[in-house]
Amino acid sequence: MRERRQFLKASLAGALGVSGLPLSGFLRGALADDGPLVIGAPLPISGPFAANGKYASMGAAFAAREAGKVLGRPVTVADIDTEGKPAPAVRKMQEAMAQGTRLFAGGILSSEALVMGKEAAKSDGVFITTAGADEITGSDCNRGTFRWTVPTFGAIAQTVRPLIAQMPQAKRWYTITPQYVFGEGLLGAAKAVFQEKGIEHVGNSYHSLAEKEFSGYLTNAIAAKPDVLLLLNFGSQSSDALRQAVSFGLKKRMTIVLAWASGLEQFEALGADLCEGVYFGAQYWHVIDSPLNKALVAKVRETAKMTPNYSFAGSYQITKLLLDAATKAGGAEGPAVIKALEGMRYSGLTGEEEIRAADHQTIKDYYLLKGKAKSAMADKDDFADIVHSGKSFLSPEAAGCKMA
Amino acid sequence: MTYLFQILNGLGLGMLYFLLAVGLSIIFGLLQFVNFAHGAFYLLGAYLAYEGTERGLSFWAAMPLAALLVAGLAGLTERLLLRRVYKLPHTFHILVTVGLALVVQEAVIIVWGPIGGTVAPPEELSGVMIAGDFIYPEYRLFVIAFTAVLAAGLWWLLDRTRLGAIVRAGSESPSNMALLGYDTLRINTAIFALGAGLAGLAGALAAPIRGVEPFMGVEALGIAFVVVVIGGMGSYVGALAAGILVGVVQSLMATLWPEGARLVIYLGMAAIIMAMPRGLFGRA
Repeated sequence: MRERRQFLKASLAGALGVSGLPLSGFLRGALADDGPLVIGAPLPISGPFAANGKYASMGAAFAAREAGKVLGRPVTVADIDTEGKPAPAVRKMQEAMAQGTRLFAGGILSSEALVMGKEAAKSDGVFITTAGADEITGSDCNRGTFRWTVPTFGAIAQTVRPLIAQMPQAKRWYTITPQYVFGEGLLGAAKAVFQEKGIEHVGNSYHSLAEKEFSGYLTNAIAAKPDVLLLLNFGSQSSDALRQAVSFGLKKRMTIVLAWASGLEQFEALGADLCEGVYFGAQYWHVIDSPLNKALVAKVRETAKMTPNYSFAGSYQITKLLLDAATKAGGAEGPAVIKALEGMRYSGLTGEEEIRAADHQTIKDYYLLKGKAKSAMADKDDFADIVHSGKSFLSPEAAGCKMA
Repeated sequence: MTYLFQILNGLGLGMLYFLLAVGLSIIFGLLQFVNFAHGAFYLLGAYLAYEGTERGLSFWAAMPLAALLVAGLAGLTERLLLRRVYKLPHTFHILVTVGLALVVQEAVIIVWGPIGGTVAPPEELSGVMIAGDFIYPEYRLFVIAFTAVLAAGLWWLLDRTRLGAIVRAGSESPSNMALLGYDTLRINTAIFALGAGLAGLAGALAAPIRGVEPFMGVEALGIAFVVVVIGGMGSYVGALAAGILVGVVQSLMATLWPEGARLVIYLGMAAIIMAMPRGLFGRA
């Protein structure tokens, strides 16, 4: 309960710290060069992915507050509730652009990120996201869209490949996949690795984006007698799938891998007992040994009395990138910020990172974590050890990016 | 063999759906009240069980306590708010209860945060039953057995006792019951509290299976309406039959056409509405 109160206090502090401007001033600021510099944060603040969206909102607010002023203008973040759906996401982004906002950091789900990136590009805006589908910086890449996170190809390469090497006897893998662009991306990449490594893909169960009950899919998986169960869903769906898999006793019968965990918040929701022995792919983990991450963790713990999770940290990083690019460009106009971001090398949360100019993809590490026993936890956030990390990316050509 | 496993799994799922829907069916059948806050009571039941176990209570104590607290809160809500709209058209019922559901959902986020949590099943039911290739969690078996007993108890209470007769008479002819000296307003409050308490109990029972998260009420409400519409509004037997039907269909679809599992349930509901507007067991 105490942590929940801290979350609320931190949310409130973030909101008051950066968004306490009267509306008229806010609108004027979005349009004028001498008013506040507005960063739009299109995030799922409501709906099934709201937990991720709310922490991401806090991360963006934290980056803005930390920056204070950029180009002599106070920085403010405007939350835009996408509801996790492409249609409201685009409509609300259009409204924000009509009010003059051109810089956007957000889009947790691939389906909403794909359409928002296209929308930003139409009006000389900049959209930077943490969503996962390969297409975002692949076949659907465009001048206005950037991505910080490792896409699905790299997530599979840095989880499935090291586990195959570590468990050569585990030849039978079963997958459970959400049927939308993100899940398809992970599944396609996993199948390619299975084929290359001689792994038998003994089955896959697709499910809808609204699914909460996984017992039927788990029954299918049990019948296929796999050595490894690979979960390719995200957020609360992956938590539900994992929770139910453990209740069916699968942890004792096979290795369970969650290719794209949503970070510390997911471990907190599941608890250490459930996560023990399970492998998790991760974009970010709070113990990463980099100067920026150490500084962020210390500052967030001091001011918000919490440890930054992936949603918070990812959003903090992409908001900071936009602000740093505006500073570098000497202006907040879309084309200038795009030019500053392309090829940018910087000290990021995961160490030295670089934004590839050809497809706007950030080159950074992806992590493989293994859940540890409750008795082995050094502190309340020490749910897992990093057992592997590395970089895997398709070339812009192989990803199919043809920048217009 | 996989189909047989899926049918068995669907049976367990169906019993959970029955428990989820039966309260909604009772409230609609006896009060003619459309309760869109039913999912919110399910949500509250789950979170109160979670809070109880987090505070060190055993699950066996937290589960009934959560259901009783939800029933009490629902009774209070009915007295202070909902009885004012009973006589208004159903659209007002929907408006008020959707608002109530949103308030409860946001209150849960304020109190417990947006992340959610896990409720461990009781230690003695944390294992699995293994029969050949079929594996089934012991806790889910308990839910099936518990719900079956509860279903029989509810049937007995509402159909075979004097109390049940008073409740049914009160819903069908409140003015006559009032003339006979019965307090029909109090009867209505009791019915609403019973229906909502059952939703709270379903939430508490589902927590070790599904965990808790602030948006679980929305999904639960959808399933409850599907079950009630298929079974027949207000039909107790219908809720049981439809709950099992929906559970088995959903589970079987996981093998036959996984991506369409939910679609088939809603298509089935639409087909039944067209062919049998009162549902499988609905009364004229």
